[in-house]
Amino acid sequence: MQGIENFSNTTMPSTALPQLEQLNFEALSPSYAKSNRYISLFSTLFIVAVLLIIQLQSIFTLPTTASNVVSFFIGAIVFIGFISTIYIILADKRKFYALREQDLSYRSGVIFRKTVSQPMLRIQHVELKRGPIDRKIGLAKLQVFSAGGAMHTFEIPGLPVEKAESIRQFILDHKDVNHYG
Amino acid sequence: MDKSTQALNNDVMPTEQAVEILQSTKDWQRISPIAIIYFLAKFVAGLLSNIVYLLPTLYIGYDNFIAHPHLWLPIGLGLISVIIISTFLSFYFFQYRLHQDHIEIRSGVISKKHVNLPFAKIQNVKLEQPIYYRAFGFTCLELDTAGSAKQEAKVVALKVDFAEQLKKEILAQHKIASSVEKNSTDETSNSTISDELTKEVILNTRSLADLVIHGITNNRIWIFLGGLAPFFDDFGRYIVDFFQELGIDLEKFLTFADKPMWQIGLYALTLTFIILLPFTLFSIAGSIITFYNYTLSKVGDRYIRRSGLLTKYEVTMRLARLQMVVRQQDWLDVILKRINLKFEQSNSALNQYQAGAQNNRIIVPSITPSECLVLINDVYPDNKMMSIDYQSISKRFLLRNLGYILTPMFILISIFIITVDKANLLMALTPAYLFISLLIYMRWLRWGYATDDNFVYIRQGFFGVDYTCFPIFKTQQAQFKQSWFQKRHQLSSIRIVLAAGAQDIPFIKQENAYQLLDKALYQVESSRKSWM
Repeated sequence: MQGIENFSNTTMPSTALPQLEQLNFEALSPSYAKSNRYISLFSTLFIVAVLLIIQLQSIFTLPTTASNVVSFFIGAIVFIGFISTIYIILADKRKFYALREQDLSYRSGVIFRKTVSQPMLRIQHVELKRGPIDRKIGLAKLQVFSAGGAMHTFEIPGLPVEKAESIRQFILDHKDVNHYG
Repeated sequence: MDKSTQALNNDVMPTEQAVEILQSTKDWQRISPIAIIYFLAKFVAGLLSNIVYLLPTLYIGYDNFIAHPHLWLPIGLGLISVIIISTFLSFYFFQYRLHQDHIEIRSGVISKKHVNLPFAKIQNVKLEQPIYYRAFGFTCLELDTAGSAKQEAKVVALKVDFAEQLKKEILAQHKIASSVEKNSTDETSNSTISDELTKEVILNTRSLADLVIHGITNNRIWIFLGGLAPFFDDFGRYIVDFFQELGIDLEKFLTFADKPMWQIGLYALTLTFIILLPFTLFSIAGSIITFYNYTLSKVGDRYIRRSGLLTKYEVTMRLARLQMVVRQQDWLDVILKRINLKFEQSNSALNQYQAGAQNNRIIVPSITPSECLVLINDVYPDNKMMSIDYQSISKRFLLRNLGYILTPMFILISIFIITVDKANLLMALTPAYLFISLLIYMRWLRWGYATDDNFVYIRQGFFGVDYTCFPIFKTQQAQFKQSWFQKRHQLSSIRIVLAAGAQDIPFIKQENAYQLLDKALYQVESSRKSWM
């Protein structure tokens, strides 16, 4: 109970409680969307290229059914790759995060919009994840674990490393201030 | 005291020093050799639970075995000796010690495991007494920590008195630690620890009749039937053959063409009953085995569930660890006016430790509404689960599920069926469509939510009805979801994640959704109360 006196949560709107509706959302790093586009594009091209090589090579001849199957797969992959690239372009434009003194929020989704809010008090531990591509372009994914279980891991992808580190530090400092968790 | 001294004499140390043992046994000690039975039973149980995979091998192996006993006998004997040696080794390498308010356990034959638990970190103490321990007065002591499943520890064979003593010690330790930490909240708790530890109030007991009702209402036969599905064909043929031997031609008996409708109906009814009866009996037996001699009691802020016919379980839960209360009624429960009350704890360890997770919640099976009310009010005195007005969800829930998903599907399939000239399939399809529609309608009718200063209440179900109630500050995470279509109508769905699982409320007004989530976050962040 003693926390109430010195409780603050910056965005103080007209009504009594801090409102999720008025979060100041920030965009992810632009290179995140760009890298996703390239990954999607190149992985599609790569698979198509491999399949084309199999079909067009002259070292051994494929049976006609196998050849038909391969050309069907090429078509299917081109189609799926096209759709998924468009989806990724649309989806990445709609990913935002917001930081308040007491919680983190992440908004995503194209048709089904979803905003997840994670109070810092309930965070059990924080992780930064960086794959090879993330390392190359200086990005990081922030993962936050609560007692809600693995299904409800809160994550913000595509943050510039320094930003991710500073958010992580912010969370850790926050935890240091109050020992309840 | 006399009795316990005697009982413990064959253990490593006498009881007079039991309290000191708890404080300062620096030496590693082995548990009683009776634990060998436990390890053996565990091994056999593990084998039996995988028997489905082994069955084909055994089946093929059997003929082979009979044909070449000189070859297979040594292998069989070798296998048995390996089992015996490995159980002995698991016993031999299982050691524990109590040291400066820590319990340390070393175990494992090939991969060694070392667990070190400070008493203060232990959240939950469970006693589990398998039937083969009971004659000798032994029990298993299971220790649960707050978060991770890896840190769980089980001392496999301890004398009952010693285990009880250890349990008290651990819980008292924890209590002191936690009340020192939050020194402001309850000053009385320190002084009354000794009182509370001795005074145990029984809140509820279940009679055999209650358990029979529980068995009937919570019939898990469909799961069982699902498991048997691959054997149905053989089973059916066997039954037909059996009747044929008795001189009854079942097939002729069941040819309906020349029989009146009422007779067919009667047949169907009798058949269903005959099939259901053994499964119901099975389920009743299951209920009695799990809940025999059920008592729910309370010591201070701890709730204790004891039950079990073969293996006696004892689950202890501190009130602070309780995440939500679920008042559950299936359709049969609604008719019989019985309720299953569940006190849910954190289940984030669930995936790794299934059996443990099952026992992690406290269920009070098939109680009457008035008993239920007493229990809920005991746990959360200021809750209004049954008296508050539940706000129903939007009718667009019906429109979305019925109008945009189910009906178009039904129409498409109908058109397809008619075009391929199988119109009589519509006879089966239409009732199915109507039934699913009814389900969706009931779902909408049941789904409601309410909130007051401290709690969120959710009502849901189909023909049955479940009421869930949780303190708002137990929220772990809040989610706001909205599709394009919902946005046009200012609707949204929310999900509140608790340590005991996520709770959804779909199709509520956007402003109400934001209000509820804002309130949840505010209560978490401003109260700074721990969720356990």
